[in-house]
Amino acid sequence: MMAIRIHSASLFIDDAVLGVVYFFESISLPRKPHLMRLKSILLLLILSSPLIGFGQTLSGTIVDAQGNPLPSASVIVDGTDGQFAGMDGSFSLSLSKGSHQVSFSFIGYLTQKRSVDIQNTSIEWSIVLEEDAVMIEDVVVVGYGVQRKKEVTGSIVQVSAKQITGIQTPSFEAALQGQAAGVQVSQSSGVAGSASLIRVRGVASVSAAGDPLYVIDGIPITQEYFLRGNSGAFNNNPLASINPNDIESVEILKDAAATGIYGSRGANGVILITTKRGRKGTSFEFSTRAGFGTPATRPNMMDTESYLTLRQEAWENDGGTGYVWLPNMTSSSDAPLTRKEAYLQAMQTNTNWVDETTGLGTKGNVNFGVRHGGDRYNLYAGVSQDNNGSYLLGNSYNRSSARVNFDWTPKPWAKVILSSSLSRGQNNRIDAAWSGGLGDAMSNALPYYPVRYLEDQVDANGTVTNEAGEYFLWFDEWGSTKNPVAVRELKQWKNTEDRSINNAQLVLTPLKDLHVKLSGGFDYMHLKEDLFNPGALSITSDLGSANRNANYVLNWNYSATADYLLELDDTQTLNFLVGSEFQRTDNYGYGLFYGQVDGPIFENDSLSDDAANVNRTVNLPSQHSFLSYFGRVNYALKDRYFVQATARVDGSSRFGRESRYGFFPSLSAGWVISDESWFSSKHVNFLKIRTSIGLTGNAALPDYARFGTYSPANNGNTYAGDSILYPIQPENPFLRWETSRTVDASVEMGLWQDRVTLELAGYHKYSTDVLMNVSTPASTGFTNFWDNVGTILNRGVEFSIKSRNLTGAFQWNTDLNIARNYNELIDIGDYTPDAVSGGTNDSRVIVGRPVGSFYLVEHSHVDPETGLPVYLDLDGNETYEYSNDIRKYVGDGLPDVIGGMNNTFRYKNWDLSGLATFSIGAKIFDSSAKRQLGVVTGWNMREEKLDRWRQPGDEATYPRLTLDETTYSLPSGFPWWNTSLFIYDASYIRLRNVTLGFTVPLPPGSTMSACRIALNATNLLTITNFPGLDPEVVRDFENAQDRNMSPNVTYLTPPQERAITLSISTTF
Amino acid sequence: MKMKHLLLFAGIAMAAISCDRLLEFEPGDVILAEDAIQDTDDLQRLLVSTYDVLANLYGGRVQIINELRGPNFGAPDNSLDFTAVYNRETTFFTGINGGAYTDFYYAIYRSNVLIENFQFVTDLTAADELRLEAEARFVRAICHWGAVKIYARPYGYTPDNSHPGVPLRLESSQDPLPRAPVGAVYTAIVEDLNFALQNLPATNGVYATQHAARAYLAQVHFQMGDYALAASYASSIIESGDFALDEDLDRFETDMINTETVFGIVSQPNDFRSSWFRDNLRSDNTSSPQLAFSEDFAFFMSLSGAGDARSQWYTPGTRALCNRFNNKEYFNIPLAHLTLMHLIRAEALAETGLELSTAIADINAIRDRAYGPGNFILPESATAEEIRDAARDEFRKETAGEGHWTDQLLRRGTMGEDILIRDASWDCPGMSLQFSNSENTVDGFVLNEEGGCL
Repeated sequence: MMAIRIHSASLFIDDAVLGVVYFFESISLPRKPHLMRLKSILLLLILSSPLIGFGQTLSGTIVDAQGNPLPSASVIVDGTDGQFAGMDGSFSLSLSKGSHQVSFSFIGYLTQKRSVDIQNTSIEWSIVLEEDAVMIEDVVVVGYGVQRKKEVTGSIVQVSAKQITGIQTPSFEAALQGQAAGVQVSQSSGVAGSASLIRVRGVASVSAAGDPLYVIDGIPITQEYFLRGNSGAFNNNPLASINPNDIESVEILKDAAATGIYGSRGANGVILITTKRGRKGTSFEFSTRAGFGTPATRPNMMDTESYLTLRQEAWENDGGTGYVWLPNMTSSSDAPLTRKEAYLQAMQTNTNWVDETTGLGTKGNVNFGVRHGGDRYNLYAGVSQDNNGSYLLGNSYNRSSARVNFDWTPKPWAKVILSSSLSRGQNNRIDAAWSGGLGDAMSNALPYYPVRYLEDQVDANGTVTNEAGEYFLWFDEWGSTKNPVAVRELKQWKNTEDRSINNAQLVLTPLKDLHVKLSGGFDYMHLKEDLFNPGALSITSDLGSANRNANYVLNWNYSATADYLLELDDTQTLNFLVGSEFQRTDNYGYGLFYGQVDGPIFENDSLSDDAANVNRTVNLPSQHSFLSYFGRVNYALKDRYFVQATARVDGSSRFGRESRYGFFPSLSAGWVISDESWFSSKHVNFLKIRTSIGLTGNAALPDYARFGTYSPANNGNTYAGDSILYPIQPENPFLRWETSRTVDASVEMGLWQDRVTLELAGYHKYSTDVLMNVSTPASTGFTNFWDNVGTILNRGVEFSIKSRNLTGAFQWNTDLNIARNYNELIDIGDYTPDAVSGGTNDSRVIVGRPVGSFYLVEHSHVDPETGLPVYLDLDGNETYEYSNDIRKYVGDGLPDVIGGMNNTFRYKNWDLSGLATFSIGAKIFDSSAKRQLGVVTGWNMREEKLDRWRQPGDEATYPRLTLDETTYSLPSGFPWWNTSLFIYDASYIRLRNVTLGFTVPLPPGSTMSACRIALNATNLLTITNFPGLDPEVVRDFENAQDRNMSPNVTYLTPPQERAITLSISTTF
Repeated sequence: MKMKHLLLFAGIAMAAISCDRLLEFEPGDVILAEDAIQDTDDLQRLLVSTYDVLANLYGGRVQIINELRGPNFGAPDNSLDFTAVYNRETTFFTGINGGAYTDFYYAIYRSNVLIENFQFVTDLTAADELRLEAEARFVRAICHWGAVKIYARPYGYTPDNSHPGVPLRLESSQDPLPRAPVGAVYTAIVEDLNFALQNLPATNGVYATQHAARAYLAQVHFQMGDYALAASYASSIIESGDFALDEDLDRFETDMINTETVFGIVSQPNDFRSSWFRDNLRSDNTSSPQLAFSEDFAFFMSLSGAGDARSQWYTPGTRALCNRFNNKEYFNIPLAHLTLMHLIRAEALAETGLELSTAIADINAIRDRAYGPGNFILPESATAEEIRDAARDEFRKETAGEGHWTDQLLRRGTMGEDILIRDASWDCPGMSLQFSNSENTVDGFVLNEEGGCL
């Protein structure tokens, strides 16, 4: 057996061929025919000088099925001689006369072998390589290294750059949807730059953040979604500033064997992002995209006539006579004539507030990149500008970014690797959802309100109170000034995020088989929110107020690893990895508030110097750190038995000395059965089983949750002029790691020479000591308390299949993945379901039910005789009495089954692909419907409300209309009709993405090596029973707990967008 | 060679980053609990924070809650929370009742922590310790009393007062507690106030004094139906000579302590502790304030005619706008004051049938001020019942908006009177506001029955 390694000694090979830097991983190659590609690479390394030529020339180009050249594809002759193709895929070999075996290979494609008989004439071939569905010889990125896919014993899914950049999304992570089994990606709303929600194998956390760990080029990056809380119904998206075009590949690590090396932060999965690097030679990449976006669906709000008709009916049902009183025009105590005049006046206006707040969002994107490389260095540099206007008028996210990745090998035993990105994301903000904009259009913006006064308004004294053309402003029930058009046009609001992620690595090979890597990373984030509320919106003041809130997040990461390969004999290898890592994050900021100003701070920075009228707050750093020691041992026997053990000791500043360190081991094994000598099958060419068990953790809780704290000494708070000191939070010195024990097993199979590949996996994830920020009895003097309380079970199966259905001139490939997850909250100690809630979303912790179950009064039906709603008590008996005491589990937002199916068709230069994603079994709580379809209030209603009870005998969905919440037995003053009537089946199948592409045939000698034009459409079709806006919801969240607890709750949430874009990408 | 490599490999691994102090971070903008209380000054500042919470509670919020439960206020304009209280249909989703409940126990917790930290402070004198404990227990008593009146059926609802009250927190603990019987809560309140009476200073700036403890003992015993004790404590205030009736009928002073105030809340220009009154009741800010007196209250006030100086406090109508707080951005709020003591003593004495002449004098002192000397005076021949009724009438008028009247109706209900409050029996379930939702997070806590008052 021969062993070579893809690491420092051969880095430039890796870079050239893979475009990915691979270190510290040994790859053992047995002498088996299908494993010879890497061996060939090594030969090419040695023999890459021009081949000794004796006879004629064999030349040609190596392309993929679409005709795209495969730069640096390898060409091996007779297993010994060879060369790399050029950047345009061309090759030219001088061969001696006689027969030769020539193999052509490229990572990710099936090796093609051909015989050639060289005589007196030169031969030219056009080699078309087919994609390899399995790619067992490919390497995948794992924690702190790479591994051959064949010997991976954990659950890892690789997503290519093409799968990420081929689709228009608000942020790159949304493109992961449907690409990996067991990875639930719920796409964000239509707000530009908003964040998707990703859950790997279910939800295993409650109050601690449940998002996977994101690692870019080895650096765990900052993942702060709540730097600005839920300002304007928008959570900051820390991933929005990442340029998708910089990404080479994404690996999603799912089980303990894969994530165990990340120990305490691996419990919810790890997403490894590898950015592009240089290649030998020089090439340029240019791409551009333009398009537009519209709402995927539109709310069906009532017009003036419908609204007033139903309101009048409610009034009369309640015993009212004459015309109904109208919000912001009359009151119930007004004289009948006054109410009538107001009613008739209201009928004169019919504003479609949805039209006033939505439109066509334009998209534009330009990327330029260069790859350049020589013997000792490689360079990738790219710049990008992305302008993403959403369909929400006034809203856009514009990102400017640049990246430089540079590799330098000054000595054979030393290599320097630098990665640096700089980006600025500017979010032109609007109010959304509960905060306004389209949310107002779906709630308090009644259709009889005009956008502007049509004529002068005169009071009883003849004084003009409002002139024609002025905005019509109203108050909502919380006293906020409303009119979404006025607010959008007058309010100035923008978020600016500057982000720079940098990494420097030194790789040393002091001895054969020993590699040492020292790495330092720095992730800088500066988020600044500027807001100006003009006086015109406050009604009472001519001047406005300006706010600035700035956050800085500084994230340092240092690591040192050593990798050593020990060859025990010809059949056994041991590969050791040990390392340590330190990460520190500082989060601080400041806030400025200026009253009585006439413009925003960003237009007049001198305001900052005006101390007379400013309220400043400074947020001292919130800091945390992780100190980690880890190791991994890989044992390979006969290149078909693989065992891996990992262990990581993590220390976190978030825990006290007694529980500061956690130990997270994993053990896994794989067996490639198809490599056994006794295995013989005409159909199965690859068969592998693997299993793993391990512990991972989660420590994503607030930095200082364990401390009992008091107000600062000079807090500025006084009573009667005397300073005060007061407790803020109780201490919990016993806080400890949230721990998940995961058992995983899978079967991988390749059929008919990998024409069909399958993977079936099962897992059982048992999470204990789950961190919860429980609501404690207020009589204790505090209302919340962090504690290790819960136990959660996730178990499931995943299945994926890749099939090349048709080959030849017309090709048809299908990728399908499907996953089933069962989630159950096993235990929450002595607490009740109300101990932890999903913000305002009526989701709770209920033992025996999934995390974040909906906890509401169960609605039975509308009584045909009385028109009143009938509820079910805890025993299932019908009752007219609505009571919080009869709340119960009525559904949950976690799907039973998720998946995606991608079909790709290719014919000559044309390709057509369509990605459908689906989710089955989840419920959705339409929290806005309880106002839109409930008691008639100052909210507009949806047209479904027409299906209401009107007279005895009516079988109706909605009860008799009323203006009085007590009619439905709700407590007075409480029109929030929290019943299961608004729990809907959220199952859907969605045509997420359709792309029609054309690869432009290029003439010989063209300076361009590839050119592709593609037309892409997202969200063209959704099949669902959900009667609301969008069955796929990621609403604005209050905090990490809400993010875990309230999937599939919608509250005036803007629907996703339907985007159509045309793109051109070229390489030259 | 391989061994050499392994040794080098191990050496590199050993040299990896290692330092536990890298994991030591403490919050920079707050004080750790273990460092917070070092000396007497810290204890004093912690004590002041209990008054700070009191100010947040009694800067109008508790008073408004109590008036909304009773007959004096009309329906709120559009506030959902106020409407829920007004309709006596609060749930644990209603914010106002949960917020007030939480604040009561903030103050109680701080009082307990204060007392438990004496042992850790070395510069604490015996005198300061006694004074601090007395003030802490005074605040604790006020808060327990405020909570038990709002969240539980009144004292006397059951003969032995075994009906559920509120958690009785006499030490700091994070353990959940069930509701203690109302009787036990009142016993603790009286004990705390008695301790305060024994150990508070005679003068203490704007903070609690012996008189403050007496004034609260008078109120608590009056509520309990211990009329003799109530009268006795009220007498000691009245007879002390330290307080005088304010002739201009305005006890809500800005930047000064009113001469009637025995204990109250201080509001300053930068903290607006009185903002609940200002923002919800002032009729000179808006033509439609959130809250106003009820038509019933306006009718009651009108019975005494325009000669009653207190008629200036409202504008007649179905929503009788409140003028009592007009033209004031911030003002001090008396919680226990001389007028209250006069009226408590008068009614208490009438109930006991003793010292009726003193009771008559109390009422006439109030009436002299309201109607002018000699007008509407109660004759010396007035019977105990007439004195009691007169005391009640004056009580309702004088404390309009101060949040006392509802408690008086409940007390009378427990004494057997047929009391209706806006057409609902005094003991309808919703009169007791629902607890904070957080009390429902641990198994075993019994919430209040909701609604039933409409």
